[in-house]
Amino acid sequence: MSNSHTTAMQSGQTLGRSQAMVREARHLLFTVTPGAAWIILFLVLPSVYLMAVAFMTNGPYGLPQMPLSLESFKQLAGFGFLGWSPGNIYTLLRSLWQTFLATALVVIVAYPIAYYISTCREKWRPLMLLAVVVPSWTNQVIRAFGWMNLLAPGTPLSSFAETLGLISPNMGLYPSNFAVTLGLAYNFLPFMVLPLYAAFEKLDTAQVEAAQDLYATPFKAFWHAVFPQTLPGLLAGVVLVAIPAFGMYVVPELLGGGKGMMLGNLVATQFSGGSNWPLGAAGAILMLIATFIGLFAMRRIGKRLGGGEEVVI
Amino acid sequence: MNKRAMRRGLTTFWWLTVVFLYLPLAVVMLFSFNASNSAARMTGFSLRWYHQLLGNEQIMSAFANTLILAVISSVIALAIGCMIGYGMYRHRHRKLGWLIILIYLPIVLPDIVFGISEMAFFVQFHRLTGFLQPGLTTMIIAHVTFQIPFVALIVYSRFVGLDPTLFEAAKDLYASPVKRVVHFMLPTIKPALISAFFLSFTLSVDDFVISFFTSGPESATLPIYIWGAIKKGISPEINAIATLMIGAVALAAVFSLMFNRRRA
Amino acid sequence: MIHNKTRAALAVSLSSMLLAGGAQAEEGKLYLFNWTQYMDPAIIEAFEEQFDVEVVQNYFNSNPELISKLNAGGTSQYDVIVPSNYYIPRLIETGLVQKLDRSKLPNFDNLMPQFKDPIFDPGAEYSAAYQWGVTGMVYNTETFPDAANSWSLLFDPEVNNDYPFSLIGDGQVAVGSACAYLGAGYQCADLDSLKNAARTLIETKNRDNFSGFADGTPTLQQLARGVVHAGMSFNGDYLFYKEEDPESFANLAFTIPDEGAEMWVDAMMIPADAPNPDLAHEFINFMLDAQIGAQLSNYNYYASPNEAARPYLDEVLTESPTQPTDEEMQRLYFTPSLKGEELQTFQQLWSEVKAR
Repeated sequence: MSNSHTTAMQSGQTLGRSQAMVREARHLLFTVTPGAAWIILFLVLPSVYLMAVAFMTNGPYGLPQMPLSLESFKQLAGFGFLGWSPGNIYTLLRSLWQTFLATALVVIVAYPIAYYISTCREKWRPLMLLAVVVPSWTNQVIRAFGWMNLLAPGTPLSSFAETLGLISPNMGLYPSNFAVTLGLAYNFLPFMVLPLYAAFEKLDTAQVEAAQDLYATPFKAFWHAVFPQTLPGLLAGVVLVAIPAFGMYVVPELLGGGKGMMLGNLVATQFSGGSNWPLGAAGAILMLIATFIGLFAMRRIGKRLGGGEEVVI
Repeated sequence: MNKRAMRRGLTTFWWLTVVFLYLPLAVVMLFSFNASNSAARMTGFSLRWYHQLLGNEQIMSAFANTLILAVISSVIALAIGCMIGYGMYRHRHRKLGWLIILIYLPIVLPDIVFGISEMAFFVQFHRLTGFLQPGLTTMIIAHVTFQIPFVALIVYSRFVGLDPTLFEAAKDLYASPVKRVVHFMLPTIKPALISAFFLSFTLSVDDFVISFFTSGPESATLPIYIWGAIKKGISPEINAIATLMIGAVALAAVFSLMFNRRRA
Repeated sequence: MIHNKTRAALAVSLSSMLLAGGAQAEEGKLYLFNWTQYMDPAIIEAFEEQFDVEVVQNYFNSNPELISKLNAGGTSQYDVIVPSNYYIPRLIETGLVQKLDRSKLPNFDNLMPQFKDPIFDPGAEYSAAYQWGVTGMVYNTETFPDAANSWSLLFDPEVNNDYPFSLIGDGQVAVGSACAYLGAGYQCADLDSLKNAARTLIETKNRDNFSGFADGTPTLQQLARGVVHAGMSFNGDYLFYKEEDPESFANLAFTIPDEGAEMWVDAMMIPADAPNPDLAHEFINFMLDAQIGAQLSNYNYYASPNEAARPYLDEVLTESPTQPTDEEMQRLYFTPSLKGEELQTFQQLWSEVKAR
């Protein structure tokens, strides 16, 4: 990366050059410092403090206090002084499962949609993309509220599900785990459509046509010529959908009705309803670890496939 | 396989998806005009919930807070993010890995972790120093934090897209760095600045979780008010506020379309 | 020209907004943190007028929500809070609240004797009673015409396996009610009963027709809209909303189950670092006034702890459910105030209930 500079340095360190370098360094410091300092002061420092909280003891009414201990991590793993209980493990598994379901649902919907947009007339494409994105400009609380209205007992959708025998009479589709999956998918659909669309737009059509001649079935042609080309976009989309979905708080809180608690809710309740800051902080650490493992794994997969494109957000 | 059948299938699927995307919003809008307090049946057309909004001081102050928060945080983020974006461009040959990580941090951090970190930090900070009581100020700080990266990345990519010789030309043209910034740099990246501002603004209005955890008694924003109203169980009024917010978004969409058209 | 003007106007309004936003907790403002739907707006107006101040109201839906807000910096942001009896000892012990200066509360004498020396705050050194009430069961009489007066409507799948219902979100009240249903009494405290109650709650919440945990006030809205057909809520809120929307509430009944239920007292307290404790005392004294106390009860349909307010109370407040009959009083209990190991045990059980 810094090749040009090192060679420049070796090729003769005149006074003027080193002065210029000092000026450059000062320039870097000047432009970057405010932002970097802001993020360090108002995000890195708070996160570090939160991690410290995880290693403190829970005070009598929820606030952290000394001494340091691993109590909150034990609690997170389910060990209390009543013995082991699986509640938090369930919550973690449920979060992973919901994330998986929502991401899968989003892929299934977004893939054909992105393809379709890329095949439409050029002048319509911006409008179509806009149509996909605009709902996500409204607040997520409003979006979840919309689904609450749509899926409540007695609404046409619920009655329809009832006649199909999917839910028992008098019940609604909300609140339920299904509503949470749907709400998550709804929230993050645009995040999958956009990178996939970018991939489809760049599709090498010559390669596709060659594949159509080469392979007997359209599916095989698709699998060998189209799919690999869209993979980087797909992976980027998965990262963009799965990571925020995993940490989601609003959707399970509003659409899950206490049945579909996810990790985000477990963490939030410790600060906004139950009050056990150290346990909440430990949950946050778990969430961060899972997030970074996910990011790292996606990066590795992306690199191995060597799509040439960095799959970092 | 029949190509036309597939095409027709895809078109149908597209329209179904559009329905899926807009149905929840449409229902909210429809029921905001409901004459009765029913979430399941439309019993008639009325504007009573809108009349209720106008008389509600809390909603009006939540509306003002939302705007103040979005405008001020976006302006601050624009200034800071712009500098970082330019710094990243100018020094892109250096090893700036730590800076990249720092900039991506607010983006990848789950909202909830972001929010509670800020909350815990501000509470502790206030306890120790007496400054930064949870309220509009802490909310602005938190919002700027998640807006900076987006501004920086947009500005950075705009610079990358420019012809590098332009910078040399500007150097010859304007002697002072200040003049260079005012007469060359800012005008050239104006489109990026505008879209960065709009993105920051949207991010701020769209945020609930981080605002929720950093707010104080007098700084409730519309999303926080709506959340409280949902938790309280009142519905028609929420429909009306939400409809106004959706209307604003639709307006923004039209503007962005026109903006893009003109650029194209 | 116009362009410049609008820009100037924008700048001016923006900077004034900034100033307004920056100046928090100024003099002449009272920050009240109260339950939703618990205060007559006319009383607030009267107080504002009399003392020439502004009252900033914020609302919570449950005691856990209140205490978590206090933990999150609220102790220095609110002047008056209105917690329930079982949270009051916790607030006192943790030093989150300050002692009341009785010399500033001449109207304190208006309270009934039992509220001048409550068990949750001996001598009422820290708190002044606001209202008291009952957390009972509300259900749809059309759906359940022959419902027995029992928690079984919520906890027994054989009694109701078809219609959606909810449980109250405040863990201690939910656990207490489950205990009562299981025959261990609302105030159950021994580990076995608590565990049994938690087990029942886990089974209940995993039933198909369990719609979720909801706080008392929103539950009524869900009942009115037919989202749920049975749930737990408060007597006063029930009457309040019934008066507001008689049509939707025609088929909704409030009842105190035979197995026993919760009776509570909400009291006004001043957080330790309240921005304006003097004004807070003025406010509490104002609320303890005989006529204001009556006005409050007449508005929110809760029983008044104010002896002097009695002559001014509406007829409806003297009957059940606002004023439970002697027979009903027999099966009403305070929620126990937990601390130390008891509290931790409870919290562990409750988080297990929520997670499963």
